[in-house]
Amino acid sequence: MPSASSTRTGFDTALLGIKGLALVAAGVLVLAFPQLAPDAFILSVGVVIASYAALAVSWNFVGGFTGYISLGHAAYSGLGGYGTALLILEAGWNPWLSLVGSAVAVGVLALPIGFASLRVRGASFVIVSIALVLILLLVSQSWSDVTGGSNGLRVPRPFGEDVLRPEQHERFFYLHVGLIVIALAVWWAIDRSRFGTGLKAIREDEDKAQALGVPTFAYKLTVFVISAFFTALAGGMYALWFGSLDPIFQFSILVGSYMVLMSLLGGIRSLLGPVVGAVIVGYSLEYFKSAYGDTQFHLVALGLLLALVVLFMPDGVLPALGSLVDRIRPDKATSIREMTAAELVEKNKEIDEARREPEEVSR
Amino acid sequence: MTTTQAPPAVRSLETVELRKSFGGVHAVDGATVTFRPGKINALIGPNGSGKTTFFNCVTGMIKPDSGEVTYQGADITGKAPHRIAAAGVGRSFQLCRIFPRMTVLENMLVGVRPEGLLHRLRGSRNADDIAKARELLRRVGIDHLESSEARDISYGQQKLLELAGVLMTDPETIMLDEPAGGVNPALIGRIGTLVRELNAEGRTFVIVEHNMDMVMSLSDHVVVFDRGRPIAEGTPAEVQGDPRVLEAYLGI
Amino acid sequence: MSGSLLLQSVILGLLLGGLYALLAAGLTLYFGVMRVVMIAHSAFLILAAYLAWWFQRETGLDPLLSLVVTVPLFFVVGFVMQRLLLARLRPATLTMMSVLLTFAIALTIEGLLGYVFSGTQRRIQLDYSGSSLEVFGANIAVVKLIAFGLAAVALLGLWALMKLTRFGQALRATIQHPEAARLLGINTDRIAGFGFGLGLATAAIGGTALSLDSTIYPSLHWHWIGPLMAIIVIGGLGSIPGAAIAAMLLGVSQSLLQVPLGTTWAQTVFYIALFATLMVRPQGFFGGRLAQRF
Repeated sequence: MPSASSTRTGFDTALLGIKGLALVAAGVLVLAFPQLAPDAFILSVGVVIASYAALAVSWNFVGGFTGYISLGHAAYSGLGGYGTALLILEAGWNPWLSLVGSAVAVGVLALPIGFASLRVRGASFVIVSIALVLILLLVSQSWSDVTGGSNGLRVPRPFGEDVLRPEQHERFFYLHVGLIVIALAVWWAIDRSRFGTGLKAIREDEDKAQALGVPTFAYKLTVFVISAFFTALAGGMYALWFGSLDPIFQFSILVGSYMVLMSLLGGIRSLLGPVVGAVIVGYSLEYFKSAYGDTQFHLVALGLLLALVVLFMPDGVLPALGSLVDRIRPDKATSIREMTAAELVEKNKEIDEARREPEEVSR
Repeated sequence: MTTTQAPPAVRSLETVELRKSFGGVHAVDGATVTFRPGKINALIGPNGSGKTTFFNCVTGMIKPDSGEVTYQGADITGKAPHRIAAAGVGRSFQLCRIFPRMTVLENMLVGVRPEGLLHRLRGSRNADDIAKARELLRRVGIDHLESSEARDISYGQQKLLELAGVLMTDPETIMLDEPAGGVNPALIGRIGTLVRELNAEGRTFVIVEHNMDMVMSLSDHVVVFDRGRPIAEGTPAEVQGDPRVLEAYLGI
Repeated sequence: MSGSLLLQSVILGLLLGGLYALLAAGLTLYFGVMRVVMIAHSAFLILAAYLAWWFQRETGLDPLLSLVVTVPLFFVVGFVMQRLLLARLRPATLTMMSVLLTFAIALTIEGLLGYVFSGTQRRIQLDYSGSSLEVFGANIAVVKLIAFGLAAVALLGLWALMKLTRFGQALRATIQHPEAARLLGINTDRIAGFGFGLGLATAAIGGTALSLDSTIYPSLHWHWIGPLMAIIVIGGLGSIPGAAIAAMLLGVSQSLLQVPLGTTWAQTVFYIALFATLMVRPQGFFGGRLAQRF
């Protein structure tokens, strides 16, 4: 039988070329964005979207690999922000050292949280993720000696006051892009490792993965800590740029759900899915905010959009595009599997029979 | 085969007074079973006789309420499934469970006997593992599908993939839950041949199966379950003539 | 803390615990029939409270009368929601995707409430709002007693329904062992829909009770869903008695801690208990085998 994997058709080569070109074009566009932006406001919108993308990519370490949906990742970005600010203000650390220090601290803190929430299956994990944001919101609002309470906290800018605002935006835009690239590189490396294979197996069928010898709890905990670390970095970076922190916005269920929506919309199983999702959702968010102001209606829009994605496109935009390409692939029918009509009938019969077998006590 | 020859074990899987109940139902009710090392053991019994629950207790998917499971003399009662897998017991699932949205080759690379953290962090392009995976895929006859997603291959091919995936962990003992379930006769024959070959290499098998032809032609030792405990055991011929077995099956 | 203050805190805690218990029973039902963590439960709770408030403002009648409409309405909404939305999700990813879907529903309800009724805080004023009873020297507001009575009657009714009727039997069978229930000829899909309807009906009753003595605003539901989810985990996912016991214990703890710590810090007791439970006994304290797997 011919090996489908080793023969690359002309169609595949063309596809690879188009993909490469699109990637290069997108990269150039991103890098040139600060020069292309007409004014400081547009530039600042770019920073916000980059920040969303960094958060979504960080979220996707857990969501994409293990399929565990965290609705409370705002806890880690918020802690990253507060940690950075407090290390600068209280300990007098260098801002960049504070950023990394705070992310490391959040990673350490994620250990007991992950320990508590990952030993059993999904439901407890989701519950803890939401509970964590709610508890942190309560604490940060009440514990005003440290967090500034509802008045918030001012974060000193890492670049001197003499650096003008557009210049600030530009630098932070590139810093955010750098962070995204690093996070993507780590995601890519995990994706190709045996560790990543084990994680994906957990996402597909956790019992089966464990029966094949994957230490599922240790794997989940490790990737959870990595995710918390990067989320905290993204949160701290945002805090350094924005210059002030308010508990309501730092520990917000909404911010957590943005991360989920962005990753899901883009496609959690693909490397660039969260970035694409962040650009789409982030742009729409900022557009609606500037066009219609902050109304209650954005909640409705967010809710409906999330529901639509969950119901009709749970695999995201990028995989949907991929299957669209597959549909126009000229040699598709024969290259993937050789199956005759008779075999197909046979297969269907098999599946039906298998379904009829009542499953014994196992769940 | 590049896989290592499993050393002949003196003792294999044994359970003592294993119990598990759900609510008021005693799914496994004091089962004491000794599987024969190096042989093909079959576990049969009418529907609802607790075979799958017993299976799940032995492989750590369910914690038994009481009793003991030992493997090669070591206590593995209630251990996590991945520890039992690491001890050398591999298993398949009823109704075939594979990782649908991963490629056939990736499916193969999930299961590997642990060799420390460093090994796991190394790239999955690890040549040894890939070579071993391809070898096993070739052995079960689905190597041409290695880059297809597992959900796109036929049910029979998925069954073969599951078996090959279990072999990646180099298990000395392999537990199969209904390997012939929902599979066409030609494939049943192929699976039977594979089991016999693997057994000849020194691997112990424990097979839960409803297909009596397969059980009788394949197994060396048959354990009959009814109401959560073994009621008879012996060679296929012995078991077939046992009145208790007929009673359990036919309810006479 | 003086004796009467202590007594008052305990009584208030028990009264609050009753409401928690009813709502947690609803959450447990959803989880039982479909393994769904229903984030929108408390959003429906607040919706019911708004409907009670709106009903009282428009008609001048007692808000309790709104139950006549909201309970059947919510039952139907719950049934339809399960049949049309949640049943569409793929079983393999049901737990996670249902969380997202119900989360999306919660956001939508919160947004719509804010849009229709504005973000202003609302409160029902009744003739008996200010009156209170003296119980062993402790002052207990009448509205709180009514709210508790409502919750207690509803819980009792739910218990009777589950234990004494054929429908309840089918529901319990579906919760304990869906495959076996199906083999016995129970239409588990329909039963799951009814389970959702019942769960949402508890939110209607709870919301009306809540509206009697609470100030309500659209984002209030976040203050409820956290504690409620903590309760069902501590009780053991899927166990209604477990949820009720945990609700009572935590209600009293919260009420007692409020005196020295204030309301905000007292609320953290739920989360601390949640983390402690997951550390020590991840399957919860009263849960059966369901809880071990989730």
